[in-house]
Amino acid sequence: MVRDSGRELLPGASPRASPCGGISHDTAKEPPTDDDEAIARSLAGDLDAYEVLVTRYSALAHRTAAMLGAADEAEDVVQEAFVKAYRHLAGFRREAPFRPWLLRIVANETHNLTRSRGRRAELAVKLTELDPPGVEDPQDVAVDTDRRTRLLDMVRTLPEREREVVVCRYFLQLSEAETAQVLDLPVGTVKSRAFRGLKRLREEVGRDLA
Amino acid sequence: MTSPDDLEARLLALGESVDVPAPPPAGVARAVRARLEALPAADRHPAPAPPSAPVRRARRAWRVLRPGGHLRRRAIVSAVAILLALFLGGTPVGRAAVTQVLRLAGVELEIGAPGPLPSGLPEPLPGERRATLEQAREQAAFPISVPAGLGEPREVRVGDGGRVVSLLWPGVRLDEYDGTLQVVFRKELGPPWPEEVPVAGASRGQWIQARHGLSYLPRGGGQAPVRPRAAGPTLIWQEGRTGLRLEGVDDLQRALEIAGSVR
Repeated sequence: MVRDSGRELLPGASPRASPCGGISHDTAKEPPTDDDEAIARSLAGDLDAYEVLVTRYSALAHRTAAMLGAADEAEDVVQEAFVKAYRHLAGFRREAPFRPWLLRIVANETHNLTRSRGRRAELAVKLTELDPPGVEDPQDVAVDTDRRTRLLDMVRTLPEREREVVVCRYFLQLSEAETAQVLDLPVGTVKSRAFRGLKRLREEVGRDLA
Repeated sequence: MTSPDDLEARLLALGESVDVPAPPPAGVARAVRARLEALPAADRHPAPAPPSAPVRRARRAWRVLRPGGHLRRRAIVSAVAILLALFLGGTPVGRAAVTQVLRLAGVELEIGAPGPLPSGLPEPLPGERRATLEQAREQAAFPISVPAGLGEPREVRVGDGGRVVSLLWPGVRLDEYDGTLQVVFRKELGPPWPEEVPVAGASRGQWIQARHGLSYLPRGGGQAPVRPRAAGPTLIWQEGRTGLRLEGVDDLQRALEIAGSVR
């Protein structure tokens, strides 16, 4: 955690330091190999290192924004979230994982957007056109696609609070603790909303098969 | 019949087969970089607060600077002064007139024409309950500090499922909350403008001398803000991850002493 503390704490020690404490790019030529190193360098003002972090989490951030309701404004939300994350990086606890911390900013920006637009958050995704693996008979593919489409529609119609938890737990594959952090909810609330959401989906699926 | 595990497995598989159009990551990285480079210099660098918890240790270190530490301290003080000057130049506080927004430590300050002060009884925070300090520490996801300068709080309240912890003394209220990411409180105010002040152990603080309107934005973002109430002079600052809001101490020096005494 203190690997880069010298660079981080003494930006003025470098003759190449910029007035606001950033270090010049050639003091850190190799791209950072892990999040912690990238964060340490970003904290020292190294935007190259931050670009590495943005590249690494860009797709996941877009996925999160789209699934939590940003629709076609996901790009704006994601850029804003990365700018905000950089500016708040000093408040990030280095011993904690970066991913849920970043996604919480994305979720928060998405909420701000939907709230300011006064609209309901939508699950803005579609099924891939690709054939699902392991299914070869065209008829099976059709049945499977149909089943997936209906299940996706059921998730779409869940109440927002339950849908968000289901999206985080299953579509983004976050743990309960990560979901709690991303949605800024107590873990108990995540558990109960996931339970209610699944219960509702089970009822729908049952009705669908009947 | 669909078993529970089957549904969960189907949801996981469904998640993997949905398509979310996303621009190429390298393009996003370039766009973000361009936006960061376009920020005013003072806003561009990650906030100079220490990255995580050891705020207390840092403050103690500040007090026990070795002999010869005076020069160093002076250098730090002037560095802080330069940063403050940069910051003031780039924010609404330093300018004036038109309504502008400043965000600090989980508080959004809307500075400009404040409108009439809200009237009526203050509403409690959602789900606000009395608690002991120990209970509050268990429920909050951020460290709770108590200012030694005020002694033990007369009352402790936990609101919004542990998102805000309020310590109360007669006429004085200290709200503590996770101040890193979300806007927790919104304040609307006019002149006199807030004043940026150095708070011991924190990067910077804002002193709001004017009476102003204060609303609370519930967690999750979806719900309406708690109705605004009138708030008196307030000092806002941040200790590590915790945002703090001290209300009810009318004298700035006294407020700074209290803020500097949080443990």
